Amino acid sequence: MLRTRVIPTLLLRNESLVKTVKFGKFTYIGDPCNTVRIFNELEVDELMFLDITATKENREPNYALLKDIATECFMPLSYGGAVRTVEQARKILNIGFEKVCVNSAAIDDISLISEISNEFGSQAVIASIDYKNSLLGKPVVVRGSNQKSTGKSVDAWAKELETAGAGEILLTSVDREGTWGGFDIYMIKRVSNSLSVPLIAQGGAGGVSDIGEVVNVGNASAVALGSLVVFQKKGMGVLVNFPNETEFEGVFK
Amino acid sequence: MNMQSFKRSAASLSSVNVKVCTRCIYDERVSAISFDEEGVCNYCHQIDSLVEQYGTGLDKGNSQFQDIVSEIKQAGKGKKYDCVIGVSGGTDSSYMVYLAKEWGLRPLAVHYDNTWNSAIATQNIRKVLTALDVDLYTHVVDNKEADDIFRSFFFADVAEIEASTDLGLAETLYRAASKYKVKYVLEGHSFITEGISPVGRNYFDGKYIKSIHQKFGRRSMKSYPLMTFANFMRWTIFGRIKKIRPFWYIDYNKEEARSFLEENYDWEYYGGHHLENRMTAFFHSVYAPEKFNSDFRNNTLAALARNGMLSREEAWAEYNQPPHAEPDLVEYFIKRLGLTDDEYRMVMAHPPKSWTEYPTYKKRFEMLRPIFFSLAKANLVPMSFYLKYCFPIKEQS
Amino acid sequence: MITIVDYGLGNFGSIKNMFKRIGVAAEIQSDLDAIDQATKILLPGVGKFDAAMSRINESGLREILERKALVEKVPVLGICLGMQLLTKGSEEGVLDGLGWIDAHARHFQAEKNLKVPHMGWNLVKSANPNHLIDHLPDESRFYFVHSYYVQVAKQENSLLKTTYGHEFDSGIVAENIFGVQFHPEKSHKFGLALFKQFAEL
Repeated sequence: MLRTRVIPTLLLRNESLVKTVKFGKFTYIGDPCNTVRIFNELEVDELMFLDITATKENREPNYALLKDIATECFMPLSYGGAVRTVEQARKILNIGFEKVCVNSAAIDDISLISEISNEFGSQAVIASIDYKNSLLGKPVVVRGSNQKSTGKSVDAWAKELETAGAGEILLTSVDREGTWGGFDIYMIKRVSNSLSVPLIAQGGAGGVSDIGEVVNVGNASAVALGSLVVFQKKGMGVLVNFPNETEFEGVFK
Repeated sequence: MNMQSFKRSAASLSSVNVKVCTRCIYDERVSAISFDEEGVCNYCHQIDSLVEQYGTGLDKGNSQFQDIVSEIKQAGKGKKYDCVIGVSGGTDSSYMVYLAKEWGLRPLAVHYDNTWNSAIATQNIRKVLTALDVDLYTHVVDNKEADDIFRSFFFADVAEIEASTDLGLAETLYRAASKYKVKYVLEGHSFITEGISPVGRNYFDGKYIKSIHQKFGRRSMKSYPLMTFANFMRWTIFGRIKKIRPFWYIDYNKEEARSFLEENYDWEYYGGHHLENRMTAFFHSVYAPEKFNSDFRNNTLAALARNGMLSREEAWAEYNQPPHAEPDLVEYFIKRLGLTDDEYRMVMAHPPKSWTEYPTYKKRFEMLRPIFFSLAKANLVPMSFYLKYCFPIKEQS
Repeated sequence: MITIVDYGLGNFGSIKNMFKRIGVAAEIQSDLDAIDQATKILLPGVGKFDAAMSRINESGLREILERKALVEKVPVLGICLGMQLLTKGSEEGVLDGLGWIDAHARHFQAEKNLKVPHMGWNLVKSANPNHLIDHLPDESRFYFVHSYYVQVAKQENSLLKTTYGHEFDSGIVAENIFGVQFHPEKSHKFGLALFKQFAEL
């Protein structure tokens, strides 16, 4: 039986790990490699690293840092952050990452998804979608750390990305990020049911029951965790952690 | 005399040719040591007088401590927490959290993360705090800044490479206390199990850190919580935040505490080699012994010998075992600090410098001795701070 | 010393590091003479079957590997595509495999709830007792990512079985030659245990 994937997402800001709330204010979490060592010990099944300033700063991914991370890590790794070309994807995969995560670049030119997918296989590409509710309460895809609206509908965009060759879709609710208030179940269920590739839900996990709900009710294939794995509890101090085996028992139906 | 060769030739107390205290195992190489007619050292006497002053483990100490607990509860009424406890994942602080709950207090656990923590430390903190339902306040410094400060100390050739961590925790404790309007900081220090650090060893204050960083640092200090003198006064004189060390009043058995934690919280002992934090491990097992001929285990070992928990022969024999180091430790240190192998070797071979060669607040502490005496009496600074920092080095005895 | 064969496809950093973590010497080698001296061989692989086989065939590596595995009988461990190369062939390509184990690789059929590739952590169970796997904990799980699965012709060559849609051989064996479909270097404590066993053979 394939286990449900529960994936800590770690945000890179220059050479530090940070955590943001609603993509805004940030807190230092720690040193990237040291934190990876801790997750190794916690026997986490998979990790995702997102470089949150690379696109804004219009620079290359920090390959040296990624190499250090990859050599420390004994579990599958994904990387996202200013991945704009097939060459960059190649470099990252050669360093030892299993998958690249593409967001803004796909909005600018969706053919990138197909190019990477054709070259390395669809399982190497995660297409990432950030969305928030517009003033009228309608969910819309946003781009970049300043969350500019693209006018695209989430459902349609997810389908387009799947058709273009994405192996997975990472769906993040900007409104719920860092709030511990639970996932956007209805949106996740709707999008997941329309796709044949796996959907990774992100934004709002407050506890193991939320994780269970988004998988059992929301039909997410996998769950990405942010605040939950770096803070002791909501509003309290940084403490890298991961629910242990027993906490997950009976959660997934 | 070189430390390593000395050790190889002096495994047994009877055949050694330095003067060793007849009660503990500090020998004549310890700074500012002196011996009385019976060969007992001044540090033993210092501990004895502290025991008498605080009544450690006796009715006097126990009842004094109960009074303090009542005061803490009183002062904490209407507030979310009534005390803060610095936690590291280690024995003393983990056990202190348990005791605080036993005493009916409502503690806030506080951690300063220098970004070199091992998984054991992180997990121990989590296990203990979850089981006891205690909240955690953390300050995490920017990892690149932390490394820049460590690097500065490395290039400064001084022993106190961990100064920024120690002081960072002290400042973080105060900030957490201040945020939640808490007036009491509980610390797990025990002069019985750990002894008092000889003066001249492990000196740290805010000016020391700042001056070394100014000289050798390459990044500005933004996220590092520096305890300036102004901050120190702010927290103590104006904030009136008290520092209480329960193990100065009541009995504490470290081995029993350890077993208790293991049995009840699945807490893990990280070994005597400070594996809970890689910088501490580097400091204790590589940096201090190799460059400074200095081995901090003799603090603990001397303390154990002093109060009879270990025979002097056993303590001496263990002290003369070379310290154990994790194999990748040096490699990790070099990589994080952005050194080359050559730079590392070169700096390790530099002659050591003393903290006295850099600007510090020491003179100021000495000049303000009467003030610090009253602060110590009021528990606003620990008495050990007063004894160690407020006297010129030659005068200490 | 474990010799990790570099024939141009794959990333070996994690593999080498995992051996380092368990204190076993391992080196990445593309030099044919060095591979010829190997006492234990690890054959990794990522990518397409034919691309891998043609590199092995055309570089002279094939002869050396055959001698090492079939004549000198040094322990060999194939990982992921490396395991598939040990078989007679794959639906993915037209070239023959090394043929050291009587088995074939076929494409997973995409079904309603079965997404292809098989990607994620899955359980393995022992098919035949063997030194390599006997010490693995019950409920061992490993990280899989593949679209083609292997089935052996004779059950005696099956080492481990896994279920994804249907049962398939996630581990195969023929005397000194082993193959695992999953990635031990991405399977933290389980991978460490497996590599340790391989090192101790």
